[in-house]
Amino acid sequence: MEQEKNNKNHENHKHSKIEHTGPILEVRDLSVSFGKEEILKDVSFSVNDGDFLAIIGPNGAGKTVLFRALMDFILYDGEIKWRAGVKIGYVPQKLMEKAELPLTVKEFFSLKSKNLFFKDKQIANSAVHELKSIDIDSDILNRQLVNLSRGELQRVLIAWAILGHPQILLFDEPTAGIDIAGEESVYNMLHKLQDERGMTIIMISHDLNVVYRYANNVLCLNKERLCYGEPEHALTNEQIKRLYGENAFYHHLH
Amino acid sequence: MALDNQFLLILISGLFTALAASLLGAFIVVKRMALVGDVLSHVALPGIGLALMLSIDPIYGAAVFLLAAAFGTWLIEKKTALPPEAIIGTFFTATLALGVLLVPNEELFESLFGNLFAIKKLDAVIIIAASSMIFFLTLLLSRRLTLSIAAPDLSKSAGFRPDFSYLAFLLLFALSVALGIKLIGSVLMGALTILPAVSARNFAWSLKSFLVFSIIFGFIMTFIGILISAVFNFPPGPAVILTGIIFFIISLFFKK
Repeated sequence: MEQEKNNKNHENHKHSKIEHTGPILEVRDLSVSFGKEEILKDVSFSVNDGDFLAIIGPNGAGKTVLFRALMDFILYDGEIKWRAGVKIGYVPQKLMEKAELPLTVKEFFSLKSKNLFFKDKQIANSAVHELKSIDIDSDILNRQLVNLSRGELQRVLIAWAILGHPQILLFDEPTAGIDIAGEESVYNMLHKLQDERGMTIIMISHDLNVVYRYANNVLCLNKERLCYGEPEHALTNEQIKRLYGENAFYHHLH
Repeated sequence: MALDNQFLLILISGLFTALAASLLGAFIVVKRMALVGDVLSHVALPGIGLALMLSIDPIYGAAVFLLAAAFGTWLIEKKTALPPEAIIGTFFTATLALGVLLVPNEELFESLFGNLFAIKKLDAVIIIAASSMIFFLTLLLSRRLTLSIAAPDLSKSAGFRPDFSYLAFLLLFALSVALGIKLIGSVLMGALTILPAVSARNFAWSLKSFLVFSIIFGFIMTFIGILISAVFNFPPGPAVILTGIIFFIISLFFKK
């Protein structure tokens, strides 16, 4: 159901290759420019099965752009190697507000179906299953997307992403708008997915506590890779200061 | 009321035109390109003019110009970051000027507002067949199109091609405008496309209900409009659109 990476010929600049063993994702010297502006420069990292990689960095550091490059939405330089046949689930920060589109949650799930129409039941059943697996009541299916709270929408987006059982989840955490309790349960939910399904997770995070608690690897990004490795070793106070600046340091380590 | 052959041909062709247009219109409205649709319809005019000069059926002239314009819009929008209304607003308003020069005076008014060309049996067959095809293809496209409107990135992440859905949609819309040229007129086809959808939006609680209401409203407003036009001997285009406006005003009272 998810985007399957296959051996398609990439446009210029791209050198994606498919490997059958080794890491699920390997990125080498990834650079992205929009016009003359360099957004990412020579970023390298790799992700193994069952990893929880947190990507942190200030606003405008290129974190979301990195995700878009990983999913092949934009042109890039360097190398992005996915393991053959890997299925990717993607949770965006938010959906664009489209109040004029009267879409129910159930219909939103059916949009992921490969079938052009009918067979609603099958996908609705899978949706109920996924919602249950992340502890959401299936009553939500009959509500309209635009009427959901930010927290509810985020959970629906997660359920949407894991529909079809991807091996890896790219999770772009919202910067604001979700209460602390809601955030906490989202992290537990991700942790559960990792435990129960062996799902690999790459998460853009804004909360250093989460990084220390859940991630086994961290990538600090500010256009370039500033640190990379296990949080305990890579995330020194020095690094955090370098990443967010002196003043931000205080806010981020509550 | 002259319930003759011509009336039946107009009624049936009109209803089929409305079916395709009102389904497409639902997506035009949620994609916020109502004005785009309106201006795109002007592109038909130079096509009609050329067709009349070459004495071929104006539907074909209009269709060629509209399809080319739809493809051009898609391409420019893809290559540049310009929104469609900027592209269409600048380029295609010029085609209206060209059209005014090309279309003979006595036929200009009615190319814009319909009723110029008598509907022949063959016309009706073409309109019915093409409208049914457009209707069916739009239904097939509706899931992909909705996802590409709601969340283009999610559409890509699920392995779909949102840009192709959008292109197919623009081409279907261009064809549907061309089909309505004779009966409704190019300017009023924009209104026939949008009016059922904006009325339906006021009632809808889901995508399905939105599409169904839009189709039903398009059907009823065209039926009543053409009936009125036959009784009072009006041209069908304006009668249908004015009926649609009344529908829209009524729908405002149902807005939740």
